[in-house]
This record gives sequence, structure tokens and C-alpha cells, in this order.
Amino acid sequence: MAMSIEELKEKIMEKALKGPKTQLYVKDFYACDPEAKPRAVKNAANDLVKEGKMVFWSSGSTTMYAAKERAQKEQE
Amino acid sequence: MPKHETPLMDELEKGPWPSFVSDLKRQAEKNPQCWDIVGQMELSFKDRMTHWKHGGIVGVFGYGGGIVGRYSDVPQQFPGVAHFHTVRLNQPSSKFYRTDILRKLCDLWERRGSGMTNFHGSTGDLILLGTRTEELEPLFYELTHDLEWDLGGSGSNLRTPACCIGKARCEWSCYDTQATCYGMTMKYQDEIHRPAFPYKFKFKFSGCANDCVAAIARSDLSAIGTWRDNIRINQDEVKKYITGDNVANGGGIPGKGEKFDIQKEVIDLCPTGCMWMEGDTLKIDDAECTRCMHCLNVMPKALRPGVDQGASIMMGAKAPILDGAQLGTLIVPFIKMDPDNEFEELVDVIEKCWDYWMEHGKNRERLGETIQRVGLPTFLRVMELEPIPQHVKEPRSNPYVFWREEEVEGGWQRDVKEFRAKHAQ
Repeated sequence: MAMSIEELKEKIMEKALKGPKTQLYVKDFYACDPEAKPRAVKNAANDLVKEGKMVFWSSGSTTMYAAKERAQKEQE
Repeated sequence: MPKHETPLMDELEKGPWPSFVSDLKRQAEKNPQCWDIVGQMELSFKDRMTHWKHGGIVGVFGYGGGIVGRYSDVPQQFPGVAHFHTVRLNQPSSKFYRTDILRKLCDLWERRGSGMTNFHGSTGDLILLGTRTEELEPLFYELTHDLEWDLGGSGSNLRTPACCIGKARCEWSCYDTQATCYGMTMKYQDEIHRPAFPYKFKFKFSGCANDCVAAIARSDLSAIGTWRDNIRINQDEVKKYITGDNVANGGGIPGKGEKFDIQKEVIDLCPTGCMWMEGDTLKIDDAECTRCMHCLNVMPKALRPGVDQGASIMMGAKAPILDGAQLGTLIVPFIKMDPDNEFEELVDVIEKCWDYWMEHGKNRERLGETIQRVGLPTFLRVMELEPIPQHVKEPRSNPYVFWREEEVEGGWQRDVKEFRAKHAQ
């Protein structure tokens, strides 16, 4: 059974904060809950952006997600 | 007065053609930050490298697309372009604008940005070039509240859908491209504004095979208008072309004074050879016709598309970034494009393909590259389509035929003893 959205968001934040890479593709979060549909993972990651915990990083052609504090430190 | 010496940029003002450098200098007289863009480009030419950093964290609240972050890597030297973000606006279908809206937009952009625009970017958006991070939210507020104008797509989002002029001005359009483009834009707002995909995804809608938005070359999913009954022929008008009373190609291609030759200019150029004359009557074997529209273009008064109209769906076109450029591959030969059922058939095709690509597409892999990687037969199974001759690029050159378990009676499990017993007979 897939996780609840709150559990999924926690897993995503954990990966974004503690993983080796600062910037992650939405697909990198699929492993947080292998049973969740890709859209559910995308919605959870977007909720975290709305909550101000994550940010989008974009090159213009590709968009990645990053934990806000970690990404801002890196950008500085 | 120019702020920087720019001999290399000045070279691009020479010659009879319009120059973006002259445009930049003219705009710089109004907005001095534009001198810095000319200066930074000059430095890039000298150094033979870009002085834009790669991407960044920038956008408006709740949106994961529409703003492309651009930061200079030499901001002390060119402070006017320290931030020079690009804003993509969702252009109206077929790019019909009201002049009062354009004036308001230009006024807003002179206040909130560089004043420089690009009508339009490759995908079709109206592009506003160059603003600072602190201007983004106020700009977005005014765009959406005062002008009722939304941002377009960028990054790993659905990009702003685009369409040809369609039934607004074109008698050949086989479906309402504007209604379709608007319908899909509204339906997929979430996909346009929030990144959901492994990479970019583009829709383009052309009303006929003339493909005025070059959908077949530029979009991951193109809907190109077609018909499945017979070309409508007006034999009286055909005769007028033959006698010279009608001008071929609508007069659009100046002739060399030669008399129109239907054999040479239409029948011999038909890619499937499905046309012929019987006396002074033009005949078409519509079952063999590929709907290329050459004959209709040459004799528009005599030939018209059939009346059972819809669209063919191609998938996988792209420009060369990872692999080479490729044109769209025919996936669905015909669907009806019906606004009354909210384009149900089209939506079904789109969502089947997205569900698969979102799960199986690799990061930064366009749909066309995924199709190439897994093979068209696999992709057709995903789309729940039976292969048809139009899916075949060329007759088989590979001697192997691969069967799937469900296609073989008894599957892969069989009684070896029984098989050997039969073999012994």
C-alpha cells in the first residue's frame, strides 16, 4: 500500500536534505515510495514547494527540486 | 551614449538586414541597463564563452515554470545584467492580439523590466527579456490581475501549447486548432506550471498537412488535421486549371509563363501515384492517398479535404540535444477532435503516453528518445494500439520475429515429452 501524503513528504524532505546531491529530479523521489504513482510523488514535492520547504532550480530546459536552505547556501 | 566599446557587436549592424544590435542600442537610449547586455555580449565574443551562469533558483510563488533565471558571471563589470531573467508568457491561440493589450504589456514591461521582448520564442511564447528577481512577483501580480495574462511553460513542464491559424482564417483546417489549443492549455494548467515530467513536453496543433506550426518537427505530440473519406473534387474547376482560367497554387508561386500541366505539376508529383486523368476527368484512388495535400495546394478551387475530418497524432519530434533531431512518428492515424466531448479521444492518447513516459522515461529524455530506446512495438502496446502498415518505416530487414508469450498457444510452458513425441513422428 502506498504511503500517506504526509509520510511521503517526510521521505522526500529527508532525501533532499541528507542525500549526496542538492538538486534532484522528480524521478529521484519515486524511490521514496515505490508504490506511489508518479503524479502522487510530483504532487507531494510541489506541496513542499508551496510550504516553502523546497525550491525549484531551473536551467530553463530542465527543472529540479532542492531543499530550500541547502540550495540557498549552495547558491551563495 | 554607448557605455562600452563594442567593435565586434558593431559588426553585426552592417549589411542590409535588420540588426538585433541596433535594436538593443536603441532600447539602451531609454533603458541604460541594455548597454550592459551589449557590453557583456561583446565580452562573450572576445572570450569565446558565455557569461551567463547556468540556471538558478528563481520563479514566482506556486509556479515551477515560466521564469528562466539568468545571472551574469561578471556582475561587477555589467551591473545592469547582474540579474536578467526571462519571462515566458502564454501567447493567445494563433497569436491574435488586441493592440490595446500589447500597449499595456509594453508599458508594464518598460516599468518592470528591460523593455526588450521577443515575439515569439521557438515554442511560441511571448518572451519578455531581462528583469531583476525583486521585480518578478510585482510583474506577475500585474500581469495576472490587470492584464489577465498567465505565464507559459519552461523546464520539465508541459510547454505552452501552440497552434496554427486554424478555422479562424483557413479553409483547409480539418479541426478547430484554436479550440483544441485553448482546451488543452486549460485542462493541463497543473502540468504547464508545475514540473511533472522527466524533461520538456510540447504539444502543437496544425489544422492540415501543410503544418503551418511545423508540429511534426517540433513537438513531442503533434495533432495534424486530416480526413478519412474522399477528397472533394469539383471537375469544372479542374478543367479551368487545365485551360488556364484558374491560376495554379492560388497565384502564390509565380510561373514562368508556361501553361499549367496537370500531369507534370500534380499527377506525376503525387507521392503514392493515386491520381490519373480519364479524358478530362480527374480520378483519385483515395484508399492509396496519404493526405499530403500537394494536389489541394496546387488546385485549391478544384480540390478540398473530405468531410469526415479529424487529426493524426504523431509523437517524438525533437531538436538535437541528446540524440539527433527527429520528426514525429505516426502513432494514431485518425481521431476525431470534438470540443463537445472535451477532446476525449485526444485526452485519452495524451494521458496514456504521459503515464508511461513519467514512469519509464529517463531524466532529460524526450518522449522520442524513450520510444527509440524501448522500440515502437513496445510503445504501441503501451498505447493499446494494434500495429498497422502506416507504422512501418520500411519493409523488414531483420530476419528475426519475436513472439510474446500471450501470442503463442500454451505460452512458454509446454510438455517437452509431448513435444518430442510429436517431433519423433
